[in-house]
Amino acid sequence: MSKTSDKKPERTIIVEHLTKNFEVTEKKKGLTGSISSLFSPKKKTVQALKNISFTLTRGELVGFIGPNGAGKTTTLKVLSSLLYPTAGFIQVLGFNPWDRKSEYLKQISLVMGQKNQLWWDLPASETFELVRAIYELPKREYEKNLDELTSLLNVKKLVNIQVRRLSLGQRMRLEFVASLLHNPKVLFLDEPTIGLDVVAQQKVRDFIFDYNRRHKATIMLTSHNMDDVANLAKRVIVINKGGIAFDGKLNELVKKFAREKMIKIYLSKETDIKKFEKIGKVKRFNYPQAVLSIPRETTAIAAAELLQNFPIADLTIEEDPIEEIIRRVFRKEKTKLVS
Amino acid sequence: MKKYLQIFKISFQQEFAYRTNFIMWRMRNVLQIVLVFFLWDAAFSSSEKILFGYDKAKILTYVFGLIIVKAFVLSAKSADVAGEVAGGELSNHLIKPVNYFKYWLTRDVSSKVLNLFFAIGESVLLFLILKPPFFIQTNFLSLLMFFVSIVLASFIFFVLLFITSSIPFWVPEAAWGVHFLITVVAVEFLSGALFPLDVLPLALQNILNFTPFPYMIFFPLQIYLGKLTGFIAFKGIFVSGIWAVILWGVMNSVWRKGLKVYQAHGR
Repeated sequence: MSKTSDKKPERTIIVEHLTKNFEVTEKKKGLTGSISSLFSPKKKTVQALKNISFTLTRGELVGFIGPNGAGKTTTLKVLSSLLYPTAGFIQVLGFNPWDRKSEYLKQISLVMGQKNQLWWDLPASETFELVRAIYELPKREYEKNLDELTSLLNVKKLVNIQVRRLSLGQRMRLEFVASLLHNPKVLFLDEPTIGLDVVAQQKVRDFIFDYNRRHKATIMLTSHNMDDVANLAKRVIVINKGGIAFDGKLNELVKKFAREKMIKIYLSKETDIKKFEKIGKVKRFNYPQAVLSIPRETTAIAAAELLQNFPIADLTIEEDPIEEIIRRVFRKEKTKLVS
Repeated sequence: MKKYLQIFKISFQQEFAYRTNFIMWRMRNVLQIVLVFFLWDAAFSSSEKILFGYDKAKILTYVFGLIIVKAFVLSAKSADVAGEVAGGELSNHLIKPVNYFKYWLTRDVSSKVLNLFFAIGESVLLFLILKPPFFIQTNFLSLLMFFVSIVLASFIFFVLLFITSSIPFWVPEAAWGVHFLITVVAVEFLSGALFPLDVLPLALQNILNFTPFPYMIFFPLQIYLGKLTGFIAFKGIFVSGIWAVILWGVMNSVWRKGLKVYQAHGR
């Protein structure tokens, strides 16, 4: 790999016109259907990714969002060498992932929320030792990383307990340790907080944020949990039905698709709701709380007007929840906005 | 090399975590041998009787030899590979800088060491209990060829398992059926793990000789018993070597194709 100067950002991940098709055998319904598809299976080609392109520079943390089956995980799997691309060009850290070169695999990691690499019947420390051998880590580096990871993720006391006896949240954090012991430069995180409680989610999020900053690691993250994305990623790629629907800064996404803001008010006296209709759309009313939806540009005026003319105890202006915005993106998926 | 040593170690430890499972598996093996033993013991009522070219000592040695050879050749962790392909656990290994074949070969070796250790103990015990007439091979060349042939046999079994384990790349739900077909039907019946193959009609034997199966159990034991010596034994080793190479080539090409259609399911 050539050395690039500090001024010009290094392109760590390059994806150009990537397409991935899957052959799927269709099963007919019922017993006779099963038998007939046994002898004459009907093959169908499913386009999981349709000609997508994007690049990531070194140290970027990008959120990858989209509904189930949109192609998020497929993209991560192609980039991490698990899936063979049907067409297109991909390069990560200067390597073609499919070659599965040791030098490449030593620099990346794929963490999936539902995957376990820890040996179920043994304490996690055994898996860590195996990881150390497989990645050929020098003892000193290994011990340093292990110490750092276990204390950041707060799992020091768990490493010597048989994995099967740990809770899901504890196990997930240990999976993280195992996946990051080799200090990868590129990290693919697929649903890293799935199934975790709120506290554990926050721990994992803090950790990802910290890891990204400390190691200047390039991170691609998929999640259903919008908090993950909103808290971690500045840039988001929205993917839907195998294509990219939006690629850009998170706040641009909000500006573009959230044409309205929400004004939340707490009334001090009961008031006729109808009067609010003149100012904006009433989305919810549940005395003493009311939520109005106001066009972006006029929120300030509307707020002033409300405070002047109504008995209001408290007023806040909020953006639409990200989920809502994303949903809007999917509805308008034809408008392609690539920054 | 060090990575594979560590794989050996952790695989060994894993085996101990499943103690009961392992003991059950060994019991099954012993019971099977005991049954076959009594069957042949009854067939050879007097020790002078010769059936299918075997006297009592040789047939009972064959049965005893089965314990050791089966423990060495047929104990293979890589029987799990088909399930890994179907279930997507394969992904865990593919994203690591480790050779998947060598990984499983190492795990197989660890399993073989453990099984062999137990098999020797078991056969000594059974020998003391049953006190059968026993044939001891003293010719050094035969013993050496016996050893080479079981190493080749283990390798052939490993590669065969890997070839059939690739079927779930295309038909994910076939994992279990394939395993059954290979380990039970092909290996138990066609390799000589239940009875020496030369009791079969000659025509059938001739067909079997064109498959790799007899080289897994039957052939090594024939060498031990001194029924195959010199040039014929050497020729057999050569043929099983060729099988190993051919199957290795097939395995590599099938896996290359399989990985291209791999869908990394379930994960």
